[in-house]
Amino acid sequence: MATTTATITIASSDLLSDEIALTSSATLTGAGNSTGILNTSGLSRKTLASGHAQYTLFDGTDYTADKAHKLYLKNISTTADEYFLVTINSEDIGRLYAGDWALIPWSAHDADNDIKIDPSANDMTLEYMLFVD
Amino acid sequence: MATTTAAVTLTSDLLSDNMSVSTSTTCMKGGTSADGLDQIDMGYVEIATGTNFDLLNADDTNNVNKANKVYVANESTDETYYVVITIDATVVGRLYAGDWMFIPWGAEDATADIEIQAYTGTNKISYAYLHEGKLLGSA
Repeated sequence: MATTTATITIASSDLLSDEIALTSSATLTGAGNSTGILNTSGLSRKTLASGHAQYTLFDGTDYTADKAHKLYLKNISTTADEYFLVTINSEDIGRLYAGDWALIPWSAHDADNDIKIDPSANDMTLEYMLFVD
Repeated sequence: MATTTAAVTLTSDLLSDNMSVSTSTTCMKGGTSADGLDQIDMGYVEIATGTNFDLLNADDTNNVNKANKVYVANESTDETYYVVITIDATVVGRLYAGDWMFIPWGAEDATADIEIQAYTGTNKISYAYLHEGKLLGSA
């Protein structure tokens, strides 16, 4: 069985009076079982020439609904005010600013629950990878 | 300014070549590289089944369209336990026992709350919310 792990560390020495050092590690498994995730899109990269045009990154109809898919995203821009607006179906999730990354659980709950991205400027590049249950 | 970093490492033997992806970001306020997110809420809650709860409220004033970050971890240990994360009426995904997520949250309008509902049993959830501001309710 393949083993895929995701480890996060959130750290700050000056946000609070006491240091923050939060770490969590997850082994990515299927929904409701301990079998490791078996499929992935692989690490990919996409440059979008046009700003403010929404682009479907993953189509909900292509994935089994209500599973334990995980999506990794990273905005590799170095211009601070450039962001990708991440949307599922028609609901805006949030803005991924330059250098930011995200790990999003995605259940492809219904056919319309596509993962969409909308760059705030031209020629922005996104790095992404989907782990598929 | 406060400096808070969020780092991730993804490793896998799923492919023919071993994969190891690592990255780190300094959590900044929206659109700037000069000012870090300097407010945080952290918590640990046990969530019973049967009700969809608001974990974080979009207040449509202080946190709208900002560079807020939300971390949620399901600390449950029974692999059949999970929570469903919803924003407004859109299901984002399921966090099973042991899973965590780290997402940007734009709180785009007053109804774009981060909601959470537990399934199978009472789930143990820890969370952190890095943000630019939060509207406190009047006493």
